[in-house]
Amino acid sequence: MRYGSKLRIHLALLAAAVTAAIILMPPPASSHLPELSRFGNNLAANRWDFSSFPVQWNMNPATGSNVQGGNSAASVIEAAFNTWVSAPNASLPLTRGPDSSVSSESSSPANINLVCFVCMDTDFSKDSSTLAVTITTSVSRGNSDGHGGTAGFDGQIIKSDILFNPNVQYTTNGSGSGSTQDLQTVATHEIGHFLGMDHTGVVRAVMFPFAPASEHTLSYDDDAGISTLYPKSIPDMPTGNITGTVRMFGSNTPVFGAHVYAGSTTSALPFPTIFNLRKSPISTLTKPDGTYTIQGVPPDSYIITAEPLDGPESAGDVSGYARAFGPAIQTNFTTRWH
Amino acid sequence: MRRSAMRRDTMRKSPLAKYVALLLAALACAQLVVATTMVPVSVETLASRAELIMQGQATRSWSQWNTQHTLIYTFTEFSVAQTLKGNASGKIVVKQLGGSVDGVTQHVSGVRSWQPGEEAVLFLRASEAKDGTHVVVGLVQGDFRLQRLSSGEVRVSNGAPEVQFLNSAGAENISQSKPMTLDDLKTRIRKAAP
Repeated sequence: MRYGSKLRIHLALLAAAVTAAIILMPPPASSHLPELSRFGNNLAANRWDFSSFPVQWNMNPATGSNVQGGNSAASVIEAAFNTWVSAPNASLPLTRGPDSSVSSESSSPANINLVCFVCMDTDFSKDSSTLAVTITTSVSRGNSDGHGGTAGFDGQIIKSDILFNPNVQYTTNGSGSGSTQDLQTVATHEIGHFLGMDHTGVVRAVMFPFAPASEHTLSYDDDAGISTLYPKSIPDMPTGNITGTVRMFGSNTPVFGAHVYAGSTTSALPFPTIFNLRKSPISTLTKPDGTYTIQGVPPDSYIITAEPLDGPESAGDVSGYARAFGPAIQTNFTTRWH
Repeated sequence: MRRSAMRRDTMRKSPLAKYVALLLAALACAQLVVATTMVPVSVETLASRAELIMQGQATRSWSQWNTQHTLIYTFTEFSVAQTLKGNASGKIVVKQLGGSVDGVTQHVSGVRSWQPGEEAVLFLRASEAKDGTHVVVGLVQGDFRLQRLSSGEVRVSNGAPEVQFLNSAGAENISQSKPMTLDDLKTRIRKAAP
């Protein structure tokens, strides 16, 4: 496994120098690992503006024989949305809208956020190795928002459709096995994309590109991300930020794209169990100048790790992040703990 | 919340040991994975599903709306250096869902684009639109990016956990091993698609 190699010290390579400081303050509205878009010279985190128009998701309830189980697909999708809507410290006034009969992505209207099991008109549906895709549309400030108004900021999401592959076997019973995938696990991940979340390098997070057969709850990393994008005005729990810079030892040059994460050194559960979160490291990637800010960190004691993004998640899994900034993500350093 | 250490020599045994345990626990979970958005498939499976496998270099790309003005597609032109399955020469165009046009961006999870100059071995098939373009098999999985090391070695990766063998139930197990070289990849492709 490639993670194993990270635990070895490679003397030939240079170490990353990390400085970290914890600052207790409300998190700003951009950071963590959101999906990023570049609009001219402006780099923006993609997110909805729940105040500009009601954001609803619209289910096409039609399913094929590939969806089996005792629960309806609609109830499973609703449960997956509720997992995000109920995330602590996040404000997500997102509701289920009227069902839709739209059955092709190319004819999905601008005011519909489609959840579709029978859409066959995109090339991905011919690959049984691709379980689902989420297509998120964001616009620059001043562009039409598709609901009669204009976007108030760059990167405003105005539409998001989730397409499940009709050629993949799904179960609604709560746990996948063999080639049958658990619908709620896949849906929870895709809804993260629907809301503007990109992949993370934290293995136990819902937004990690690969997941266990059944994973219906958010991790601390997922919650840090979603509450940073959509902060609640009065947080359920206090959190802070960890900031620092990753540089090459010796040359002192900044490292872009280092995966930096805060891992708790205690067994404490800063988020009460009522929130139904799984404790995990909380992560981010460094910017081209080597700086990072890990946001949404609950009170605890942490060790900070900087590692190259070379597996099991790789730079390709967050290609939008690199593309948004310009330079290629660096992996020419070894893991360091601080 | 405790201010974290700022010295380089703070790799203390106790927290490190805890972290090793944490990572090992994470690895145990990772070995049980099925994909959230993708099922990892082997080079051999990709080779059997692809109509065209080629090594090439991206030369230019552009994005445009579909005729209904509902979806944005990005087209990337590749200069073909070598074909490993099927026939292609000169230049081919690969089509992907997503891109940016006129201040509108469509982002598709599981799709990554190429910058001019990037090299890759691509597992392709003809687009369903029958417009002369190709699409990548398995989203990112059929896209092995080349990394040329200063030692001269050329490594390849598609970013997904590699799959090398079948378990007793016939499902493909994930096995991440040493980094794959371009020569290793070509050898496996030729064996799978002679």
